[in-house]
Amino acid sequence: MKSDGAGMDSPDTIIVGAGAAGLLLAARLAETGRRVTVLEAGPKRSTSDLISSQIWARRLKWSGPHVEELGDHKVGHAFNAGFGTGGSAVHHYGVWLRLHRGDFSVASDHGVGLDWPLDYDTLRAHYDSVQSEVGLSGDAEAEVWRPDGADYPMPPLPIFAQGRVLKKGFDKTGRRTAPLPLAINSQPYQGRAACQYDGWCDAGCPIGALANPLVTWLPRAQEAGVHIEHNAFVNRVLRDPNKASRITGVEYFQAGERHSLHAQQVIIAAFTVQSARILLSSADNNRPAPGNQFDQLGRYLTSHPAGTVFGLFDEETYPHQGVSGGQLISHDDYDKKNQGAAFGSSQWLIAHAIKPHDLLGYGTGRPDISGEKLKPWLQDAARHIGNMTLVAEDIAKPENRISLSGQRDVNGIALARTEHNLDTRTAQLWEQRIAEGQDIMRAAGAREVWHGPRVAMHIMGGTVMGNDEKLSVTDSYGRVHDTDNLYVSGPSLFPSSGAVNPTFTLSAIASRQAEHLTKQAD
Amino acid sequence: MALATTRRRLLTGGAALSWFLVNGSWLCMSAAQARVAGFSPQKLTDEQCTTLEILADELVPGARDAGIAAFIDSQLTAGEESLLIAKYLGVPAPQQLGFYQAALDSGTRLLATQDLSAAFAIELISKDEVLNWEGAPASFFSFVLRADALDVVYGTEHGFEQLGIPYMAHISPQEAW
Ligand SMILES: Cc1cc2nc3c(=O)[nH]c(=O)nc-3n(C[C@H](O)[C@H](O)[C@H](O)COP(=O)(O)OP(=O)(O)OC[C@H]3O[C@@H](n4cnc5c(N)ncnc54)[C@H](O)[C@@H]3O)c2cc1C
Ligand code: SF4
Repeated sequence: MKSDGAGMDSPDTIIVGAGAAGLLLAARLAETGRRVTVLEAGPKRSTSDLISSQIWARRLKWSGPHVEELGDHKVGHAFNAGFGTGGSAVHHYGVWLRLHRGDFSVASDHGVGLDWPLDYDTLRAHYDSVQSEVGLSGDAEAEVWRPDGADYPMPPLPIFAQGRVLKKGFDKTGRRTAPLPLAINSQPYQGRAACQYDGWCDAGCPIGALANPLVTWLPRAQEAGVHIEHNAFVNRVLRDPNKASRITGVEYFQAGERHSLHAQQVIIAAFTVQSARILLSSADNNRPAPGNQFDQLGRYLTSHPAGTVFGLFDEETYPHQGVSGGQLISHDDYDKKNQGAAFGSSQWLIAHAIKPHDLLGYGTGRPDISGEKLKPWLQDAARHIGNMTLVAEDIAKPENRISLSGQRDVNGIALARTEHNLDTRTAQLWEQRIAEGQDIMRAAGAREVWHGPRVAMHIMGGTVMGNDEKLSVTDSYGRVHDTDNLYVSGPSLFPSSGAVNPTFTLSAIASRQAEHLTKQAD
Repeated sequence: MALATTRRRLLTGGAALSWFLVNGSWLCMSAAQARVAGFSPQKLTDEQCTTLEILADELVPGARDAGIAAFIDSQLTAGEESLLIAKYLGVPAPQQLGFYQAALDSGTRLLATQDLSAAFAIELISKDEVLNWEGAPASFFSFVLRADALDVVYGTEHGFEQLGIPYMAHISPQEAW
């Protein structure tokens, strides 16, 4: 095994994964004087790689070892995970929402899933500081359901024709909407350009209007001297043979060669499935994997069940205008978690800019229309379609888990395997809300309404944080329970999923971790 | 020189280019041009390409001329860099060749049935009503192939134009698919 890769002489901290969580931590820690090396499995990427094409955007997705998926609600790793500098956040849609207060205590309040070891007030200051660092646009007052927090630094993005048409459906059915809060510049912000509303966010925003890590944390990390080693696939963490709680570094593979790198502190921020896989792979003959003393590692895997409702209108909607994340939001039903046979919060993301092709495209979702009927239908849809996405809460269950497969990759490393089944109450929630969504579309005046399949959106859990070591893997700072110096960051820490997109929350958690680690070092 | 001119013209037009073997030389061109030039497939057989074109064109008219066979064949040579939508749908790059080969061979057998129109073949495939179909379920293959065909026909600047949608690229796709 080769020791210490080139240009990486004994860092203080190793971070695994150059995505949303990893680059935030790298920038913040290096700015306080720590020597940080980031090991990233994928290639080096820059904004010039963000080509405006849904086909090209597929290159940005996970291209590492295959993940085996089981269950009736497979987590969709190939779609949800990224690869290379910036991780999946490089082409995320910038929908940045805070969890609601009730999301932190679902076990105490409703007897389902797990409580968080912290509450909204503990995270609030970090939500506020991160939002001013990356730049958010929105209208806090219009979001009547938003937990208290600082106003957005920028006004909301404009509402285009599609948003105006769909809003009528919400108005007529007595539901409130607000401009969607987005990590997208409605005006120039900190030297970054304002959005051009061309709908290419899903392929990545090369002009820096959308706060992806390439334009937010990466420049700061580089300025502070962080070294990023690309194409470095971390297999496992290394432990002191004489003191199991002490992590000495990591083992990784680069161009087929095995290397090791040592540091005082290791942070795993490799997105949910890989973060758990790295810890699981770190068991040895005598000792369980770090964090797995009580067989909790990999458990409580969650993924938001989502679905898109479509409508065709006589009115022109110009669905190419705007941003991929949408224009409006409705959280009216969010806090009504307990609904008899159904359980969970949910939200509507309304009026996404949409393309004719690709997985989420309107043409792809209508296999019943083909042959000669197709082109006129697409031409009609290109001017008259409306769409909105339901995001529903998942119940965290111990049997939904990440584990190691019997199969191995080219380097002999066990593949990750996920098993995820929906609770019947969650499935019921999805059905109920999708039916309501179709009513809203009709109320908005759609002449034809349909919905897409239930899909898995976002992947969370697996290395959950908690106060009870027997029910969790890390403490509230992400430190793995039975270790002194091994941390996890990212949505794998979430004990429950809530129903909002996770990147704002995982960034607030990473911000809190950075503050804690800095204080500890002082 | 001729090639350079062709390439410049294509880039201006926003068409995506790739390398194709044509009459023993590797040429950089769009999938549609590769088809007209008579490219030699690297992974699929000529027969599989013919079936692919017939079925895809039935699902999405224009797929044949847009170079669906050249597009898929070139992506099947790309390994982990494959841009095929199958990647999202549970068919990772190493399994993609087998996925297309098995389905296209089944499709070829089906199309050999006397008096069977392409339209009827697609109907049977999309309803999983083909006897002795091998590989992934027929309806799933038809879903994937239709999505591939949408990619080549409508997922480009030219395709957007046909639907009256302004493409508004930040960075236009300029190299291979
Ligand atoms: C299409 C799409 C749209 C999205 N839109 C939104 C949105 O609007 N709002 C929102 O909140 N969220 C959104 N998300 C989700 C968001 O992208 C993720 O929640 C977020 O990026 C997760 O951050 P992370 O740091 O945990 O992982 P990532 O950002 O994915 O980074 C993890 C990094 O770790 C690397 N890695 C993995 N394994 C290893 C290993 N073994 N060794 C070394 N490196 C490794 C990966 O290559 C990757 O670069 C979206 C996701 C997708 C796919
Ligand atoms: S729509 Fe705005 S945020 Fe999205 S890619 Fe274009 S400029 Fe960037």
